[in-house]
Amino acid sequence: MNLLLPGMYVAADSALHRLDPRVKMGAALLLMAVPFAIQHLASILLLSALVAAITYLSAAPLPALARTLRTVLGLGFFMFVFYLFTTPGRPLVTVGKIVMTWEGLGAAATQVYRLCLLVVLSAILTFTTSPAQLAHGLEALLGPLTRIGLPVREFALVLTIALRFVPTLFEEIDKIAKAQRARGADPGAGGVRQRVRGWTSVFVPIFISAFRRAEELATAMEARGFRGAQQRTRLYQLRLTRRDLVAALVVVAACLAIVGLERLR
Amino acid sequence: MLIRVEDLSYTYAPGTPLERVALQGVNLEIGPGERVGVLGPTGSGKSTLVQHLAGLLEPTAGQVWLDGVAAHARTAAARARRQRVGLAFQYPEDQIFEQTVFREVAFGPRYLGLGEAEITARVRWALEMVGLDSPTMEGRMPLTLSGGEMRRVALAGILAMRPEVLILDEPTAGLDPRGRRELLGRVQAWQEQIGFTLVLVSHNLGELARVAERAVVLARGQVVADGSARQVLSDGESLRAAGLDVPQTVALLQALRQAGWEVRTDRLLPEEAVAEIVQAAKLRLVKSVSHPSLGPISDRARREEARL
Repeated sequence: MNLLLPGMYVAADSALHRLDPRVKMGAALLLMAVPFAIQHLASILLLSALVAAITYLSAAPLPALARTLRTVLGLGFFMFVFYLFTTPGRPLVTVGKIVMTWEGLGAAATQVYRLCLLVVLSAILTFTTSPAQLAHGLEALLGPLTRIGLPVREFALVLTIALRFVPTLFEEIDKIAKAQRARGADPGAGGVRQRVRGWTSVFVPIFISAFRRAEELATAMEARGFRGAQQRTRLYQLRLTRRDLVAALVVVAACLAIVGLERLR
Repeated sequence: MLIRVEDLSYTYAPGTPLERVALQGVNLEIGPGERVGVLGPTGSGKSTLVQHLAGLLEPTAGQVWLDGVAAHARTAAARARRQRVGLAFQYPEDQIFEQTVFREVAFGPRYLGLGEAEITARVRWALEMVGLDSPTMEGRMPLTLSGGEMRRVALAGILAMRPEVLILDEPTAGLDPRGRRELLGRVQAWQEQIGFTLVLVSHNLGELARVAERAVVLARGQVVADGSARQVLSDGESLRAAGLDVPQTVALLQALRQAGWEVRTDRLLPEEAVAEIVQAAKLRLVKSVSHPSLGPISDRARREEARL
Protein backbone atom coordinates (compact mmCIF):
# COMPACT_ATOMS: atom_id res chain seq x y z
CA MET A 1 0.00 0.00 0.00
CA ASN A 2 1.17 3.50 -0.70
CA LEU A 3 -0.01 6.29 1.46
CA LEU A 4 1.20 9.80 1.93
CA LEU A 5 1.05 10.65 5.57
CA PRO A 6 0.81 14.33 6.46
CA GLY A 7 4.33 15.67 6.33
CA MET A 8 5.98 12.63 4.80
CA TYR A 9 9.27 13.13 2.97
CA VAL A 10 8.88 13.54 -0.78
CA ALA A 11 12.03 12.78 -2.74
CA ALA A 12 12.74 15.53 -5.26
CA ASP A 13 15.57 17.79 -6.31
CA SER A 14 14.47 21.27 -5.34
CA ALA A 15 16.59 24.10 -4.04
CA LEU A 16 15.38 23.29 -0.54
CA HIS A 17 16.06 19.58 -0.88
CA ARG A 18 19.71 20.35 -1.52
CA LEU A 19 20.16 22.55 1.56
CA ASP A 20 21.99 21.36 4.63
CA PRO A 21 19.51 19.98 7.17
CA ARG A 22 21.00 22.13 9.94
CA VAL A 23 20.30 25.28 7.96
CA LYS A 24 16.77 24.15 7.18
CA MET A 25 16.01 23.28 10.79
CA GLY A 26 17.46 26.52 12.08
CA ALA A 27 15.60 28.56 9.49
CA ALA A 28 12.34 26.74 10.21
CA LEU A 29 12.70 27.44 13.95
CA LEU A 30 13.48 31.09 13.33
CA LEU A 31 10.56 31.53 10.95
CA MET A 32 8.25 29.82 13.41
CA ALA A 33 9.26 32.30 16.08
CA VAL A 34 8.76 35.43 13.94
CA PRO A 35 4.93 35.47 13.97
CA PHE A 36 5.06 35.72 17.76
CA ALA A 37 7.03 38.98 17.48
CA ILE A 38 4.84 40.78 14.97
CA GLN A 39 1.33 42.18 14.99
CA HIS A 40 0.89 44.62 12.13
CA LEU A 41 -0.75 43.58 8.92
CA ALA A 42 2.17 44.79 6.79
CA SER A 43 4.71 42.58 8.59
CA ILE A 44 2.31 39.66 8.51
CA LEU A 45 1.91 40.07 4.76
CA LEU A 46 5.69 40.26 4.32
CA LEU A 47 6.21 37.12 6.36
CA SER A 48 3.49 35.35 4.39
CA ALA A 49 5.20 36.33 1.15
CA LEU A 50 8.49 34.97 2.47
CA VAL A 51 6.91 31.66 3.44
CA ALA A 52 5.14 31.48 0.08
CA ALA A 53 8.46 31.97 -1.68
CA ILE A 54 10.02 29.19 0.41
CA THR A 55 7.07 26.93 -0.39
CA TYR A 56 7.60 27.65 -4.06
CA LEU A 57 11.31 26.83 -3.83
CA SER A 58 10.60 23.59 -1.99
CA ALA A 59 8.56 22.22 -4.91
CA ALA A 60 6.25 20.88 -2.20
CA PRO A 61 3.13 19.34 -3.73
CA LEU A 62 0.34 21.78 -2.87
CA PRO A 63 -2.43 19.16 -2.49
CA ALA A 64 -0.26 17.31 0.02
CA LEU A 65 0.39 20.57 1.85
CA ALA A 66 -3.34 21.23 1.95
CA ARG A 67 -3.91 17.76 3.37
CA THR A 68 -1.37 18.48 6.07
CA LEU A 69 -3.16 21.70 6.96
CA ARG A 70 -6.44 19.84 7.11
CA THR A 71 -5.12 17.75 10.00
CA VAL A 72 -5.22 20.85 12.23
CA LEU A 73 -8.56 22.06 10.90
CA GLY A 74 -10.40 21.03 14.07
CA LEU A 75 -7.80 22.56 16.38
CA GLY A 76 -7.73 25.76 14.31
CA PHE A 77 -11.49 26.07 14.43
CA PHE A 78 -11.52 25.52 18.18
CA MET A 79 -8.81 28.14 18.70
CA PHE A 80 -10.62 30.62 16.50
CA VAL A 81 -13.90 30.26 18.37
CA PHE A 82 -12.14 30.28 21.74
CA TYR A 83 -10.30 33.56 21.14
CA LEU A 84 -13.30 35.10 19.41
CA PHE A 85 -15.50 34.79 22.48
CA THR A 86 -13.05 35.07 25.36
CA THR A 87 -11.09 38.18 24.42
CA PRO A 88 -12.42 41.27 26.18
CA GLY A 89 -12.86 44.47 24.12
CA ARG A 90 -15.30 46.37 21.95
CA PRO A 91 -18.35 44.25 21.27
CA LEU A 92 -18.94 43.20 17.68
CA VAL A 93 -21.96 40.96 18.08
CA THR A 94 -23.84 40.27 21.29
CA VAL A 95 -26.13 37.29 21.68
CA GLY A 96 -27.55 37.23 25.18
CA LYS A 97 -24.57 36.81 27.50
CA ILE A 98 -22.19 35.78 24.75
CA VAL A 99 -20.10 38.66 23.41
CA MET A 100 -18.01 38.57 20.28
CA THR A 101 -15.41 41.36 20.22
CA TRP A 102 -13.35 43.15 17.59
CA GLU A 103 -10.23 42.38 19.58
CA GLY A 104 -11.36 38.77 19.74
CA LEU A 105 -11.64 38.64 15.97
CA GLY A 106 -8.10 40.01 15.66
CA ALA A 107 -6.66 37.66 18.29
CA ALA A 108 -8.44 34.68 16.79
CA ALA A 109 -7.12 35.43 13.31
CA THR A 110 -3.59 35.92 14.65
CA GLN A 111 -3.63 32.64 16.55
CA VAL A 112 -4.92 30.65 13.60
CA TYR A 113 -2.34 32.34 11.37
CA ARG A 114 0.45 31.29 13.73
CA LEU A 115 -0.86 27.75 13.82
CA CYS A 116 -1.04 27.52 10.04
CA LEU A 117 2.46 28.91 9.66
CA LEU A 118 3.80 26.39 12.17
CA VAL A 119 2.17 23.55 10.29
CA VAL A 120 3.24 24.75 6.85
CA LEU A 121 6.85 25.34 7.90
CA SER A 122 7.24 22.00 9.62
CA ALA A 123 5.56 20.28 6.68
CA ILE A 124 7.98 21.90 4.26
CA LEU A 125 10.87 20.89 6.48
CA THR A 126 9.78 17.25 6.48
CA PHE A 127 8.77 17.28 2.82
CA THR A 128 12.26 18.35 1.79
CA THR A 129 14.39 16.60 4.40
CA SER A 130 14.62 12.83 4.60
CA PRO A 131 14.27 11.27 8.06
CA ALA A 132 17.93 10.30 8.00
CA GLN A 133 18.96 13.88 7.24
CA LEU A 134 16.63 15.22 9.92
CA ALA A 135 18.18 12.96 12.52
CA HIS A 136 21.68 13.82 11.30
CA GLY A 137 20.92 17.53 11.47
CA LEU A 138 19.40 17.21 14.91
CA GLU A 139 22.41 15.27 16.10
CA ALA A 140 24.70 18.00 14.78
CA LEU A 141 22.64 20.81 16.30
CA LEU A 142 22.37 19.10 19.68
CA GLY A 143 25.97 17.89 19.51
CA PRO A 144 27.24 20.23 22.24
CA LEU A 145 24.88 18.56 24.72
CA THR A 146 27.02 15.39 24.65
CA ARG A 147 29.51 17.38 26.76
CA ILE A 148 27.05 17.43 29.63
CA GLY A 149 26.47 13.70 29.27
CA LEU A 150 23.31 13.60 27.18
CA PRO A 151 23.22 10.61 24.78
CA VAL A 152 22.55 12.75 21.71
CA ARG A 153 23.91 10.26 19.19
CA GLU A 154 21.86 7.41 20.57
CA PHE A 155 18.85 9.66 20.58
CA ALA A 156 19.42 10.54 16.91
CA LEU A 157 19.75 6.87 16.06
CA VAL A 158 16.55 6.02 17.89
CA LEU A 159 14.82 8.85 16.05
CA THR A 160 16.07 7.63 12.66
CA ILE A 161 14.89 4.10 13.32
CA ALA A 162 11.55 5.24 14.69
CA LEU A 163 10.89 7.46 11.69
CA ARG A 164 11.87 4.68 9.34
CA PHE A 165 9.21 2.40 10.83
CA VAL A 166 6.35 4.89 10.88
CA PRO A 167 5.15 4.10 7.33
CA THR A 168 5.63 0.39 7.97
CA LEU A 169 3.45 0.59 11.06
CA PHE A 170 0.76 2.50 9.24
CA GLU A 171 0.75 -0.04 6.45
CA GLU A 172 0.40 -2.79 8.97
CA ILE A 173 -2.43 -1.04 10.80
CA ASP A 174 -4.24 -0.61 7.51
CA LYS A 175 -3.74 -4.24 6.59
CA ILE A 176 -4.96 -5.56 9.92
CA ALA A 177 -7.92 -3.20 10.01
CA LYS A 178 -8.86 -4.53 6.61
CA ALA A 179 -8.49 -8.11 7.75
CA GLN A 180 -10.84 -7.30 10.64
CA ARG A 181 -13.33 -5.73 8.29
CA ALA A 182 -13.11 -8.83 6.09
CA ARG A 183 -14.35 -10.74 9.15
CA GLY A 184 -17.30 -8.45 9.65
CA ALA A 185 -15.85 -6.02 12.19
CA ASP A 186 -15.42 -2.31 11.61
CA PRO A 187 -12.73 -0.92 13.94
CA GLY A 188 -13.76 2.71 13.45
CA ALA A 189 -17.50 2.28 13.87
CA GLY A 190 -20.11 1.62 16.53
CA GLY A 191 -20.35 2.78 20.10
CA VAL A 192 -17.38 3.47 22.36
CA ARG A 193 -17.26 -0.09 23.66
CA GLN A 194 -17.30 -1.58 20.19
CA ARG A 195 -14.64 0.83 19.00
CA VAL A 196 -12.33 0.07 21.90
CA ARG A 197 -12.84 -3.61 21.20
CA GLY A 198 -12.32 -3.06 17.49
CA TRP A 199 -9.07 -1.16 17.91
CA THR A 200 -7.85 -3.68 20.47
CA SER A 201 -8.11 -6.33 17.81
CA VAL A 202 -6.00 -4.15 15.54
CA PHE A 203 -3.34 -3.07 18.02
CA VAL A 204 -2.61 -6.42 19.64
CA PRO A 205 -1.15 -7.86 16.42
CA ILE A 206 0.59 -4.54 15.73
CA PHE A 207 2.39 -4.60 19.08
CA ILE A 208 3.33 -8.23 18.68
CA SER A 209 4.86 -7.60 15.29
CA ALA A 210 6.53 -4.39 16.45
CA PHE A 211 8.31 -6.23 19.26
CA ARG A 212 9.29 -9.01 16.89
CA ARG A 213 10.60 -6.45 14.42
CA ALA A 214 12.58 -4.68 17.12
CA GLU A 215 14.21 -7.90 18.19
CA GLU A 216 15.09 -8.85 14.64
CA LEU A 217 16.51 -5.41 13.96
CA ALA A 218 18.63 -5.52 17.11
CA THR A 219 20.00 -8.91 16.12
CA ALA A 220 20.70 -7.71 12.59
CA MET A 221 22.52 -4.63 13.91
CA GLU A 222 24.66 -6.70 16.24
CA ALA A 223 25.37 -9.17 13.47
CA ARG A 224 26.76 -6.28 11.48
CA GLY A 225 29.00 -5.17 14.30
CA PHE A 226 26.97 -2.44 16.00
CA ARG A 227 28.41 -1.67 19.43
CA GLY A 228 26.62 1.44 20.60
CA ALA A 229 26.47 4.78 18.86
CA GLN A 230 29.62 6.30 20.39
CA GLN A 231 32.16 4.67 18.13
CA ARG A 232 30.19 5.21 14.96
CA THR A 233 31.38 7.56 12.29
CA ARG A 234 29.32 8.98 9.47
CA LEU A 235 29.64 7.96 5.84
CA TYR A 236 28.16 11.28 4.78
CA GLN A 237 29.52 14.29 6.61
CA LEU A 238 27.49 17.45 6.75
CA ARG A 239 29.34 20.27 5.08
CA LEU A 240 28.07 23.81 4.71
CA THR A 241 28.32 25.07 1.15
CA ARG A 242 28.00 28.57 -0.16
CA ARG A 243 24.40 27.85 -1.02
CA ASP A 244 23.73 27.04 2.64
CA LEU A 245 25.39 30.20 3.87
CA VAL A 246 23.47 32.35 1.42
CA ALA A 247 20.19 30.70 2.35
CA ALA A 248 20.86 31.17 6.06
CA LEU A 249 21.81 34.82 5.53
CA VAL A 250 18.72 35.52 3.43
CA VAL A 251 16.37 33.99 6.00
CA VAL A 252 18.00 35.71 8.96
CA ALA A 253 18.07 39.07 7.14
CA ALA A 254 14.45 38.73 6.09
CA CYS A 255 13.34 37.84 9.61
CA LEU A 256 15.28 40.76 11.07
CA ALA A 257 13.77 43.08 8.50
CA ILE A 258 10.25 41.93 9.26
CA VAL A 259 10.67 42.25 13.01
CA GLY A 260 12.53 45.56 12.54
CA LEU A 261 9.72 46.94 10.42
CA GLU A 262 7.39 46.08 13.26
CA ARG A 263 9.52 47.97 15.80
CA LEU A 264 9.83 51.08 13.61
CA ARG A 265 6.15 51.81 13.73
CA MET B 1 -22.86 -15.53 -5.53
CA LEU B 2 -22.19 -13.84 -8.85
CA ILE B 3 -19.26 -11.44 -8.81
CA ARG B 4 -19.10 -8.91 -11.60
CA VAL B 5 -16.15 -6.56 -11.96
CA GLU B 6 -16.90 -3.73 -14.33
CA ASP B 7 -14.22 -1.40 -15.72
CA LEU B 8 -12.56 -1.38 -12.34
CA SER B 9 -9.72 1.08 -11.83
CA TYR B 10 -7.94 1.91 -8.62
CA THR B 11 -5.26 4.46 -7.87
CA TYR B 12 -3.32 4.59 -4.62
CA ALA B 13 -2.70 8.02 -3.07
CA PRO B 14 -4.28 10.00 -5.90
CA GLY B 15 -3.14 13.60 -6.24
CA THR B 16 0.12 13.03 -4.36
CA PRO B 17 3.66 12.36 -5.58
CA LEU B 18 3.20 8.75 -4.51
CA GLU B 19 0.25 8.27 -6.84
CA ARG B 20 0.28 4.78 -8.33
CA VAL B 21 -2.25 3.16 -10.61
CA ALA B 22 -2.86 -0.37 -9.36
CA LEU B 23 -5.79 -1.43 -11.53
CA GLN B 24 -6.87 -0.14 -14.88
CA GLY B 25 -10.15 -1.07 -16.55
CA VAL B 26 -10.48 -4.60 -15.18
CA ASN B 27 -13.49 -6.62 -16.33
CA LEU B 28 -14.20 -9.99 -14.81
CA GLU B 29 -17.13 -12.21 -14.01
CA ILE B 30 -16.91 -15.02 -11.49
CA GLY B 31 -19.86 -17.37 -11.19
CA PRO B 32 -20.94 -19.47 -8.21
CA GLY B 33 -18.72 -22.46 -7.49
CA GLU B 34 -15.95 -21.45 -9.88
CA ARG B 35 -12.33 -22.12 -8.95
CA VAL B 36 -10.36 -19.16 -10.22
CA GLY B 37 -6.61 -18.70 -9.98
CA VAL B 38 -5.33 -15.12 -10.11
CA LEU B 39 -1.70 -14.80 -11.09
CA GLY B 40 0.67 -12.06 -12.08
CA PRO B 41 4.06 -10.69 -11.14
CA THR B 42 4.62 -8.66 -7.98
CA GLY B 43 2.90 -5.30 -8.23
CA SER B 44 0.47 -6.40 -10.93
CA GLY B 45 -2.57 -5.58 -8.80
CA LYS B 46 -3.59 -9.04 -7.58
CA SER B 47 -4.02 -8.08 -3.96
CA THR B 48 -5.76 -4.82 -4.86
CA LEU B 49 -8.20 -6.75 -7.03
CA VAL B 50 -9.15 -9.27 -4.36
CA GLN B 51 -9.59 -6.50 -1.79
CA HIS B 52 -12.14 -4.98 -4.11
CA LEU B 53 -13.93 -8.31 -4.40
CA ALA B 54 -14.32 -8.26 -0.63
CA GLY B 55 -15.54 -4.65 -0.70
CA LEU B 56 -12.57 -3.38 1.30
CA LEU B 57 -11.54 -0.72 -1.18
CA GLU B 58 -13.65 1.84 -2.94
CA PRO B 59 -13.00 1.81 -6.70
CA THR B 60 -11.50 4.96 -8.23
CA ALA B 61 -13.61 4.19 -11.28
CA GLY B 62 -15.86 1.31 -12.27
CA GLN B 63 -17.66 -1.01 -9.91
CA VAL B 64 -17.64 -4.43 -8.29
CA TRP B 65 -21.06 -6.03 -8.05
CA LEU B 66 -21.83 -8.84 -5.62
CA ASP B 67 -25.13 -10.31 -6.84
CA GLY B 68 -25.94 -6.90 -8.30
CA VAL B 69 -25.06 -4.82 -5.21
CA ALA B 70 -22.04 -2.50 -5.16
CA ALA B 71 -19.47 -4.29 -2.98
CA HIS B 72 -18.18 -1.35 -0.96
CA ALA B 73 -21.54 0.41 -0.40
CA ARG B 74 -22.53 1.35 3.14
CA THR B 75 -25.96 -0.24 2.90
CA ALA B 76 -27.24 -3.23 4.82
CA ALA B 77 -27.61 -5.20 1.59
CA ALA B 78 -23.97 -4.61 0.69
CA ARG B 79 -22.84 -5.53 4.20
CA ALA B 80 -24.81 -8.78 4.05
CA ARG B 81 -23.14 -9.62 0.72
CA ARG B 82 -19.68 -8.74 2.02
CA GLN B 83 -20.19 -11.08 4.94
CA ARG B 84 -20.60 -13.90 2.46
CA VAL B 85 -17.16 -13.20 1.00
CA GLY B 86 -14.29 -14.54 3.10
CA LEU B 87 -10.86 -13.08 2.42
CA ALA B 88 -7.62 -14.36 3.92
CA PHE B 89 -4.73 -11.94 3.50
CA GLN B 90 -1.15 -13.05 3.08
CA TYR B 91 0.34 -14.38 6.31
CA PRO B 92 -3.04 -14.41 8.07
CA GLU B 93 -1.37 -15.69 11.25
CA ASP B 94 0.07 -12.20 11.79
CA GLN B 95 -3.44 -10.89 12.36
CA ILE B 96 -4.41 -13.14 15.23
CA PHE B 97 -5.24 -11.09 18.33
CA GLU B 98 -7.59 -12.96 20.66
CA GLN B 99 -6.50 -14.64 23.87
CA THR B 100 -7.78 -18.08 23.00
CA VAL B 101 -8.14 -20.08 19.82
CA PHE B 102 -11.87 -20.38 20.46
CA ARG B 103 -12.41 -16.63 20.67
CA GLU B 104 -10.21 -16.06 17.63
CA VAL B 105 -12.26 -18.40 15.47
CA ALA B 106 -15.53 -17.16 16.98
CA PHE B 107 -14.74 -13.53 16.13
CA GLY B 108 -16.32 -13.60 12.67
CA PRO B 109 -19.40 -15.65 13.58
CA ARG B 110 -20.05 -13.27 16.50
CA TYR B 111 -20.26 -10.37 14.05
CA LEU B 112 -22.76 -12.41 12.05
CA GLY B 113 -25.02 -12.13 15.09
CA LEU B 114 -25.29 -15.86 15.70
CA GLY B 115 -26.41 -17.49 18.92
CA GLU B 116 -23.87 -18.92 21.38
CA ALA B 117 -24.71 -22.56 20.53
CA GLU B 118 -24.36 -21.94 16.82
CA ILE B 119 -21.06 -20.12 17.36
CA THR B 120 -19.65 -23.03 19.33
CA ALA B 121 -20.78 -25.47 16.68
CA ARG B 122 -19.15 -23.41 13.95
CA VAL B 123 -15.88 -23.06 15.82
CA ARG B 124 -15.71 -26.83 16.31
CA TRP B 125 -16.57 -27.44 12.70
CA ALA B 126 -14.05 -24.91 11.38
CA LEU B 127 -11.21 -26.22 13.56
CA GLU B 128 -12.00 -29.70 12.35
CA MET B 129 -11.94 -28.52 8.76
CA VAL B 130 -8.42 -27.15 9.13
CA GLY B 131 -7.31 -30.36 10.81
CA LEU B 132 -6.92 -29.15 14.37
CA ASP B 133 -8.25 -31.11 17.32
CA SER B 134 -10.98 -28.84 18.61
CA PRO B 135 -11.22 -29.79 22.33
CA THR B 136 -7.48 -29.48 22.97
CA MET B 137 -7.04 -26.36 20.85
CA GLU B 138 -9.98 -24.21 21.91
CA GLY B 139 -8.54 -23.03 25.20
CA ARG B 140 -4.97 -22.50 24.02
CA MET B 141 -3.33 -19.15 23.50
CA PRO B 142 -2.77 -18.59 19.79
CA LEU B 143 0.69 -17.16 20.41
CA THR B 144 1.86 -20.49 21.87
CA LEU B 145 1.05 -22.34 18.65
CA SER B 146 3.49 -23.11 15.85
CA GLY B 147 3.44 -20.98 12.71
CA GLY B 148 1.60 -23.62 10.69
CA GLU B 149 -0.98 -24.10 13.42
CA MET B 150 -1.50 -20.37 13.69
CA ARG B 151 -2.15 -20.11 9.98
CA ARG B 152 -4.69 -22.89 10.22
CA VAL B 153 -6.41 -21.16 13.14
CA ALA B 154 -6.55 -17.96 11.09
CA LEU B 155 -8.08 -19.79 8.15
CA ALA B 156 -10.56 -21.50 10.49
CA GLY B 157 -11.62 -18.03 11.60
CA ILE B 158 -12.65 -17.30 8.03
CA LEU B 159 -14.20 -20.71 7.31
CA ALA B 160 -16.31 -20.35 10.44
CA MET B 161 -18.17 -17.54 8.71
CA ARG B 162 -19.25 -20.08 6.07
CA PRO B 163 -18.44 -17.82 3.14
CA GLU B 164 -19.96 -18.41 -0.28
CA VAL B 165 -16.81 -17.00 -1.79
CA LEU B 166 -13.43 -17.85 -0.32
CA ILE B 167 -10.53 -15.68 -1.41
CA LEU B 168 -7.05 -16.80 -0.43
CA ASP B 169 -4.17 -14.41 -1.06
CA GLU B 170 -0.98 -16.49 -1.31
CA PRO B 171 -2.18 -19.01 1.26
CA THR B 172 0.94 -21.16 1.05
CA ALA B 173 3.53 -18.37 1.23
CA GLY B 174 6.28 -19.24 3.68
CA LEU B 175 5.28 -22.89 4.11
CA ASP B 176 7.58 -25.80 3.32
CA PRO B 177 6.70 -28.02 0.32
CA ARG B 178 4.88 -30.50 2.50
CA GLY B 179 2.92 -27.79 4.28
CA ARG B 180 1.99 -26.34 0.91
CA ARG B 181 0.73 -29.65 -0.43
CA GLU B 182 -1.23 -30.32 2.72
CA LEU B 183 -2.89 -26.90 2.78
CA LEU B 184 -3.77 -27.02 -0.89
CA GLY B 185 -5.20 -30.50 -0.44
CA ARG B 186 -7.40 -29.14 2.32
CA VAL B 187 -8.52 -26.18 0.23
CA GLN B 188 -9.49 -28.56 -2.57
CA ALA B 189 -11.35 -30.79 -0.15
CA TRP B 190 -13.28 -27.84 1.35
CA GLN B 191 -14.19 -26.64 -2.09
CA GLU B 192 -15.52 -30.05 -3.10
CA GLN B 193 -17.37 -30.50 0.14
CA ILE B 194 -18.88 -27.02 0.52
CA GLY B 195 -18.90 -25.91 -3.11
CA PHE B 196 -17.98 -22.29 -2.47
CA THR B 197 -16.47 -20.06 -5.12
CA LEU B 198 -12.71 -20.15 -4.74
CA VAL B 199 -10.40 -17.32 -5.73
CA LEU B 200 -6.77 -18.27 -5.23
CA VAL B 201 -4.00 -15.71 -5.64
CA SER B 202 -0.59 -17.19 -6.17
CA HIS B 203 2.51 -16.88 -8.22
CA ASN B 204 3.24 -20.55 -7.89
CA LEU B 205 1.83 -21.78 -11.18
CA GLY B 206 2.13 -25.45 -10.26
CA GLU B 207 -0.12 -24.74 -7.29
CA LEU B 208 -2.70 -22.92 -9.35
CA ALA B 209 -2.68 -25.70 -11.94
CA ARG B 210 -3.67 -28.17 -9.26
CA VAL B 211 -6.52 -26.20 -7.74
CA ALA B 212 -7.91 -23.78 -10.32
CA GLU B 213 -10.02 -24.60 -13.34
CA ARG B 214 -9.80 -21.06 -14.62
CA ALA B 215 -6.83 -18.70 -14.62
CA VAL B 216 -6.78 -14.92 -14.81
CA VAL B 217 -3.45 -13.24 -15.51
CA LEU B 218 -2.85 -9.67 -14.36
CA ALA B 219 -0.01 -7.49 -15.56
CA ARG B 220 0.42 -3.78 -14.85
CA GLY B 221 -3.09 -3.62 -13.43
CA GLN B 222 -4.83 -5.10 -16.44
CA VAL B 223 -6.24 -8.52 -17.26
CA VAL B 224 -3.99 -9.88 -20.00
CA ALA B 225 -5.33 -13.43 -20.11
CA ASP B 226 -8.47 -15.13 -18.84
CA GLY B 227 -9.44 -18.66 -19.73
CA SER B 228 -9.22 -22.30 -18.72
CA ALA B 229 -6.21 -22.92 -16.50
CA ARG B 230 -4.86 -25.47 -18.99
CA GLN B 231 -4.97 -23.06 -21.87
CA VAL B 232 -3.70 -19.98 -20.01
CA LEU B 233 -0.91 -21.69 -18.08
CA SER B 234 0.54 -23.45 -21.12
CA ASP B 235 0.59 -20.32 -23.26
CA GLY B 236 4.26 -19.51 -22.82
CA GLU B 237 4.22 -16.43 -24.96
CA SER B 238 1.50 -14.53 -23.14
CA LEU B 239 2.82 -15.63 -19.73
CA ARG B 240 6.28 -14.35 -20.57
CA ALA B 241 4.81 -11.12 -21.91
CA ALA B 242 3.12 -10.68 -18.53
CA GLY B 243 6.45 -11.22 -16.79
CA LEU B 244 5.84 -14.80 -15.64
CA ASP B 245 7.44 -18.14 -16.36
CA VAL B 246 5.51 -21.15 -17.62
CA PRO B 247 4.96 -23.99 -15.14
CA GLN B 248 7.95 -26.33 -14.94
CA THR B 249 6.04 -29.21 -16.53
CA VAL B 250 5.15 -27.06 -19.52
CA ALA B 251 8.76 -25.88 -19.86
CA LEU B 252 9.96 -29.50 -19.87
CA LEU B 253 7.38 -30.59 -22.44
CA GLN B 254 8.18 -27.61 -24.65
CA ALA B 255 11.88 -28.52 -24.56
CA LEU B 256 11.05 -32.11 -25.50
CA ARG B 257 8.88 -30.92 -28.32
CA GLN B 258 11.70 -28.80 -29.65
CA ALA B 259 13.90 -31.89 -29.56
CA GLY B 260 11.45 -33.60 -31.86
CA TRP B 261 9.25 -35.44 -29.39
CA GLU B 262 5.58 -35.58 -30.16
CA VAL B 263 4.17 -34.38 -26.86
CA ARG B 264 1.35 -32.05 -26.00
CA THR B 265 2.64 -29.11 -23.99
CA ASP B 266 -0.50 -28.28 -22.03
CA ARG B 267 0.06 -30.80 -19.25
CA LEU B 268 0.27 -28.79 -16.01
CA LEU B 269 0.52 -31.37 -13.26
CA PRO B 270 3.64 -33.50 -12.80
CA GLU B 271 1.69 -36.73 -13.06
CA GLU B 272 0.02 -35.60 -16.27
CA ALA B 273 3.38 -34.61 -17.72
CA VAL B 274 4.88 -37.96 -16.73
CA ALA B 275 2.03 -39.81 -18.44
CA GLU B 276 2.48 -37.69 -21.57
CA ILE B 277 6.22 -38.32 -21.69
CA VAL B 278 5.86 -42.05 -21.07
CA GLN B 279 3.35 -42.28 -23.88
CA ALA B 280 5.55 -40.32 -26.27
CA ALA B 281 8.55 -42.43 -25.33
CA LYS B 282 6.59 -45.61 -26.08
CA LEU B 283 5.55 -44.18 -29.40
CA ARG B 284 9.15 -43.35 -30.28
CA LEU B 285 10.32 -46.79 -29.27
CA VAL B 286 7.63 -48.42 -31.36
CA LYS B 287 8.49 -46.24 -34.34
CA SER B 288 12.17 -46.91 -34.09
CA VAL B 289 11.62 -50.67 -34.31
CA SER B 290 8.85 -50.55 -36.88
CA HIS B 291 11.08 -50.79 -39.94
CA PRO B 292 9.35 -52.47 -42.93
CA SER B 293 12.03 -55.14 -43.14
CA LEU B 294 11.16 -56.28 -39.67
CA GLY B 295 7.77 -57.48 -40.86
CA PRO B 296 5.81 -58.95 -37.98
CA ILE B 297 7.12 -56.45 -35.48
CA SER B 298 5.85 -53.56 -37.58
CA ASP B 299 2.40 -55.12 -37.51
CA ARG B 300 2.62 -55.21 -33.79
CA ALA B 301 3.86 -51.65 -33.83
CA ARG B 302 0.96 -50.45 -35.91
CA ARG B 303 -1.44 -52.14 -33.57
CA GLU B 304 0.33 -50.58 -30.65
CA GLU B 305 0.27 -47.20 -32.32
CA ALA B 306 -3.43 -47.51 -33.01
CA ARG B 307 -4.02 -48.43 -29.40
CA LEU B 308 -2.10 -45.42 -28.19
